[in-house]
Amino acid sequence: MESIIAYGIALLAAPLFPGFILKVKAFFAGKKGPPLLIKYYTVLKLFRKGSVYSTSTSFVFRMGPTVSFVTAAMALLFVPIAGASPVLSFHGDVIVLFYLFGLGRFFTVIAALDTASPFEGMGAAREVYFATLAEATTFSILVIFFRLNGALSFGEFFAGTNPITVWGGAGALLLLVIVSLFMVLLTENSRVPVDDPATHLELTMIHEVMILDHSGPDLALIELGAFFKLLFYAAFITCIVQPLQFTSPWLHALLFFGIMGLIYVAVGITESITARLKMNLVPKFILTSFALVFFAAILTTRVVS
Amino acid sequence: MDTYLFSLVVILVGGILPLFTYKKFTVMKAACVIITAIGSFTGLYAALSFLIHPVENAVISWPWLHHFEIALQMDAMAAFFLIPIFFICPLATLYSFHYMHHEKQSGKTAISYFFSAVLFVSMALLTTANNMLTFALAWEIMSLSSFFLVVFDFRNKETRKAGYLYFIFAQAGALFLFAAFAVIYSQTGTLSFDSISAMPENMKLIAFVLAFMGLGSKAGVFPLHIWLPHAHPAAPSPVSAVMSGVMIKMGIFGIIRFYMLLAPAGEIYGQIILVAGMISGILGVVYALGVHDIKRLLAYSSVENIGIILLGLGLGMLGVATGNSTMAAFGFAGGLLHVFNHSIFKSLLFMGAGSVIHKAGTGKINELGGLMKTMPVTGKTFLVGAVSISGLPPFNGFVSEFLIYYGAFYGLAHGSSFLLPMLTIISLAVIGGLAASCFTKLVGVAFLGEPRTENAAKASECGIAMRISMVVLALSCIVVGVFPEPFVHIVFRVVSGLPIAATVSPTVFIDLVRNISLVAVLFLGILGITMLLRKGLYSGKPMAKGPTWGCGFTQPTVRMQYTGTSYAMSIVGFFRPFIHSENVYSGIQKIFPGKTTYKTKVSDRAESAILETVVKPVFWVLDKLRWIQHGEIQLYIAYIVLAIVILLLAQ
Repeated sequence: MESIIAYGIALLAAPLFPGFILKVKAFFAGKKGPPLLIKYYTVLKLFRKGSVYSTSTSFVFRMGPTVSFVTAAMALLFVPIAGASPVLSFHGDVIVLFYLFGLGRFFTVIAALDTASPFEGMGAAREVYFATLAEATTFSILVIFFRLNGALSFGEFFAGTNPITVWGGAGALLLLVIVSLFMVLLTENSRVPVDDPATHLELTMIHEVMILDHSGPDLALIELGAFFKLLFYAAFITCIVQPLQFTSPWLHALLFFGIMGLIYVAVGITESITARLKMNLVPKFILTSFALVFFAAILTTRVVS
Repeated sequence: MDTYLFSLVVILVGGILPLFTYKKFTVMKAACVIITAIGSFTGLYAALSFLIHPVENAVISWPWLHHFEIALQMDAMAAFFLIPIFFICPLATLYSFHYMHHEKQSGKTAISYFFSAVLFVSMALLTTANNMLTFALAWEIMSLSSFFLVVFDFRNKETRKAGYLYFIFAQAGALFLFAAFAVIYSQTGTLSFDSISAMPENMKLIAFVLAFMGLGSKAGVFPLHIWLPHAHPAAPSPVSAVMSGVMIKMGIFGIIRFYMLLAPAGEIYGQIILVAGMISGILGVVYALGVHDIKRLLAYSSVENIGIILLGLGLGMLGVATGNSTMAAFGFAGGLLHVFNHSIFKSLLFMGAGSVIHKAGTGKINELGGLMKTMPVTGKTFLVGAVSISGLPPFNGFVSEFLIYYGAFYGLAHGSSFLLPMLTIISLAVIGGLAASCFTKLVGVAFLGEPRTENAAKASECGIAMRISMVVLALSCIVVGVFPEPFVHIVFRVVSGLPIAATVSPTVFIDLVRNISLVAVLFLGILGITMLLRKGLYSGKPMAKGPTWGCGFTQPTVRMQYTGTSYAMSIVGFFRPFIHSENVYSGIQKIFPGKTTYKTKVSDRAESAILETVVKPVFWVLDKLRWIQHGEIQLYIAYIVLAIVILLLAQ
């Protein structure tokens, strides 16, 4: 029951946190910024609208948003949110989880290609390219976690007698993991310096350009899916860095969401103080994250033995 | 065993009959389809009933040419490999009912049916071969019959060239295989399979490497794969479906068979197979991204999937060598299940490719587009195949890749063999990402968007027989993906034949697979609910239609669409040292630019390397020996006499 409540809270709170990013960016720009609940208003507004469909599209275009929404919502089922055990957990679920994201991406990409727009094709090509590179980092992180903890399930990583936490024995090594995980977060969720969600030129976009032709409730589903995905990665990092285990679930949840908020603030700060990278530098950025975890994985041979 | 032999006879009858009835085109095709189906279902029944109730000593043998013995034996692994043969082959035959539509080519079609039947039977015999002679015989019949199928369109020069290339590779591969047999025979002094495991360890390694070269060239292991991207586009699509879906798996079958017969001890076997798997897997899919002919692309994707299968088998062998039973069992199980899964979705994709080529007249994806609307059944089944082959849940490709991942993770626990399992995991992740890129390209460019040419716009849905085959295969992808339990059971039965894997309890497999099944059902359930909610949200809302947003550009043309070339360009560029892409760009010279051209061509590094290092030296040597061939018949006879005399004296 506790798990389901935590899952529900996570789903409901997902649109709140991106508001933090906007606030931080506004602060750096010396502006007041939109209200904190802006994303809720956006989603509700979109749900009330109808849609315009391009004559070039087929059923694939209409399926894309639904699939990406469902896969992102399902991924959160495996995450121990705020200390509650995950709704769904079994040995090997991490592999399922990242492949679910892969399925969501597959449909987002083919929905983009369905519009016959050159811009969306461009975005799609970039998305699959960068995602492939990020996949190498993600699975190397799983290798490290398996070496440290012997688990293959998201819930078990952070539970039991030997949880993965930066405050434990392998903390120094996990610092490397956290940095590269943050880089993967930026990549997978189309944030600066990989992609700029606020840019105005379609030629420079990755994710935003792929969804140019979606409108109304379909667009709202895509947005919600993106919020869930960002929340997933933020929760992933939070689980590693959470310092204390409170006995009271409320205090624990408060701390958990507090840290998660700080990660969103970190995203906002990154976006405010860095410019986006040139497209040909993005692979280097992602491969840096891979190099970090590969190094950390080799270090595990010493730490474990 | 009797049922099995009976099924082979029936299939053979189905192949011989068209030779006499070819004058009645439709009757011939229908009879062949029905008889092949009856034979295959009988065979499928025999294989499945063997797997459910194994019979001890299912052996049969008869003498041949006084000295030799043809011996067949049914065991769990043979029965497992018979399943794709007896499942895919009748569907491919059914598919060809509408694919082979030129009544003028009736005679040729009849011959093609004959060789198809010979191919099916030889593959089945190969799986049950119980001595080296039977194995070699079945192997050669398989290679030759498939060669005749490839050169169906022999009047076309390109087809002949592809056919010869395939022929050379098949025979060179057989040469290696027979060399391995010779090594084994020199040690054991018998053609039987029984005493192979008693060979000394160093000879085992030599025999295994030779056999791997021969079997690997059939399977399409990089860099011995180069016949695949030539032969598959040249062959008719039902033939490509059988060759890529089933026949190349016979190479994999041979590798497992010889590994088990040799029962070697060292870690080197697993290491060889793993490294070969990583190279095939990654470079196969990179080349698949680089080429833009639908059947060439699928051929390279077969190279990739053979790589994934080898990763599974390599983990299994490494697990056996290091005593890691979980890694061994899951590696072998994943590899074997991927054999089965790949046979389903690769045949499906080749059939889809065939109907596209049939109706749109071209297989170049940059000239296609928008087929999802004009060919809905082909398009949807192709989409299912594409998602499956990318290894994504809830389809079948995911289940086998999951098992391989699982085995690899358990390989990490052993300190000494830490690096290879880790590289396996990273390779699998990268292959997964690249495969998704490759098949989004294929589906997105060929089936979605706007048609790029007249021909693509005029394409219409293919014949009912073709559609039925594709729908059956697409449904199989979903069934295996959502309810993998019985299939994993079968695979586990095969794997438990290994001494080490017997220590892994089947409940571990079953629990895992039930969880995958749960996720798949949950996914489909939530997807259904979300779709209903979405429908509710849209009810009574204004829905408008309009052109695609061109970012302010008001004169869009279909030529503006992203092509397969541009889509894959940056990824191909990333792998530049391993893939050679030649770009010719005329550039823009004047202020008001005239016509410019841009050409890009990807050439296979392995092909040019083999050309340089093998073909050219061989030609050089043969050129020096030209004087032997002078055309004087009496001297030729003298050669023969001389050779016999020398041989007699040497004895």
